[in-house]
Amino acid sequence: MSMHRRVLTLVSLALASVSAVPALAQGPVVLPIADAKARVAVEREIARAAARGLPVQPLIAKAMEGVTKQATGERIQVAVASAAKRLEQARTLLAPSTSVAELTSGADALAIGVPGAMLKQIRAAWPVERSVAMPIDVLTELVARGIPARHALEQITVLMARGATPSQIASLGTSVQADVAAGLAPDAALEVRARGVMSLLPSPAAAAASAPSGQRRP
Amino acid sequence: MTGGSAARALILSCATALAAAAQAPPDVRLEAGYARVEQTGFAPADAALFAVFWRKPTDRWTLFTSGNLTYARDSLAAAQVVAAFAVPWEANEHLRTDFGAAGASFSLRSAGRGGNGSGFLRQHYVRDEWGLWFGTAAGITERDGVRTRSFAGDLGGWTRWRFMYASASLSRQNSDDWLLLLAAGQERAPLAASYELEDWQLVAQARRGPHELSASWTKRRSVAGSDVNVDAVALSGSLQLSDRLAFLASAGRQLSDPLRSLPQADIVTASFRVSLGPKPLPVMQRATIAEVRLHPRAEGGAELELRVEAHDTLAVEVAADFSQWKPLPMVREGDEWVVRVALPPGKYRIGVRANLGPWRAPRNLARVRDDFGGESGLIVIP
Repeated sequence: MSMHRRVLTLVSLALASVSAVPALAQGPVVLPIADAKARVAVEREIARAAARGLPVQPLIAKAMEGVTKQATGERIQVAVASAAKRLEQARTLLAPSTSVAELTSGADALAIGVPGAMLKQIRAAWPVERSVAMPIDVLTELVARGIPARHALEQITVLMARGATPSQIASLGTSVQADVAAGLAPDAALEVRARGVMSLLPSPAAAAASAPSGQRRP
Repeated sequence: MTGGSAARALILSCATALAAAAQAPPDVRLEAGYARVEQTGFAPADAALFAVFWRKPTDRWTLFTSGNLTYARDSLAAAQVVAAFAVPWEANEHLRTDFGAAGASFSLRSAGRGGNGSGFLRQHYVRDEWGLWFGTAAGITERDGVRTRSFAGDLGGWTRWRFMYASASLSRQNSDDWLLLLAAGQERAPLAASYELEDWQLVAQARRGPHELSASWTKRRSVAGSDVNVDAVALSGSLQLSDRLAFLASAGRQLSDPLRSLPQADIVTASFRVSLGPKPLPVMQRATIAEVRLHPRAEGGAELELRVEAHDTLAVEVAADFSQWKPLPMVREGDEWVVRVALPPGKYRIGVRANLGPWRAPRNLARVRDDFGGESGLIVIP
């Protein structure tokens, strides 16, 4: 077995084992937090989120991150409560979307300072049955790279309006990353790459004509 | 000041550092060894060295404190305490401000008895592979009842290539501490109230895992008030013998430092350093040791490859949200630790750490703050 295969196998085994660790939304969650008082508080926070109809997977992941990073029980509790609050905000902003991926993406965007109004704009740019998780993720990545949120949103919504696929939008972030690594300013890299993706897309008129009627939200 | 009071000052600084260390898991190091000191006009002296170094990082800043004592029976004694903060800017991740203060007491055969206080402020611009800085500092010395003042400004830059570091700097110092200058065998210009020195310095450093080797060359010349024109070369190195024990050695010329009231001397040292606490080895440089590459897969998503450039004696861990933040097993390939994971399209957060140090973002990923005072790297897979 090649070294490459061996690593992949090891990682697959590791992922398989960790995916079985937390009881994701199936019965009570038991988290490996040493501080018993904090553990109970975190579990209660997660139960409350579940009762409000919020996805618990991101909250369990947040708690596990805190455990791995050796955060205090109190800090994990605060982090999980904050994450639950952001999920609730994301649900309101992205309504009627309720998928775990979209709410998680929305909450993560809010966490790095993306204004809530921008999430609404992204939701409005695509039909409701189409997931906006990927455009929000790319917006989050671009903002984290230091690109002004307004500029990043503009480029992403133009691509969405022109009929870009999630994969094409995601490749925008990857290309910007490569350009930044090569020394280009993040803002300039976004400009160049967005133009590159757009050159592959149909014209605005053709995109509008091909969009099924009644799917676009006002 | 006598050797006894210098020792008391050191004990006080050690007690303060250790008391603070007891409240949190900081990086604490103790160093003890031997020094041989040669100064103009004096016979060589043997001295004992003792030092304590304590470092505590928090969410937004890092506090460094250290105390050290150099002591020889023939009145060569000095104790020094330093506290410094490194504060990264919230608004721009490339900016960092360092500031701090140092206090010293001494009883030196070449430069009398007294005390010294100094402070510094330095602004850094830091990229992954290079950086720039400029700063200013001021110091006051009281020696045998005479008070002197010194000021300095410096600017410089550094760059890194693999395990090599190099820096160049220019500094100017203005002082009326004539005794330091005269103790180095230099002449005072008639009627000059103060003197001004200009130092050009080049430093080259190699770091391989926990081991370090450093060489510096300094060219000092007088700008005003004296006829100083001197070169200084110094070498130093550290060899990590085990998880907690390192051997350190240095040799070379230490030029006089008016800010901290240090006299010029040729010094050879050999010492051992013991690391305490949960971080026994020096933590690797942030974010510079790990890099992510993506290899698109025909069936969608990508294979994420994370490479960590670190010595094989270091304990390197990688965790991410796709592993529910459980550390992933890594394998050694050449000089690097490697892990590869096949992932579907989506957004992922990744953290890397060496030797139980802070979790950091791989250097080529966007960095986001986590909710635990650290950071993660963010990547979106098409």
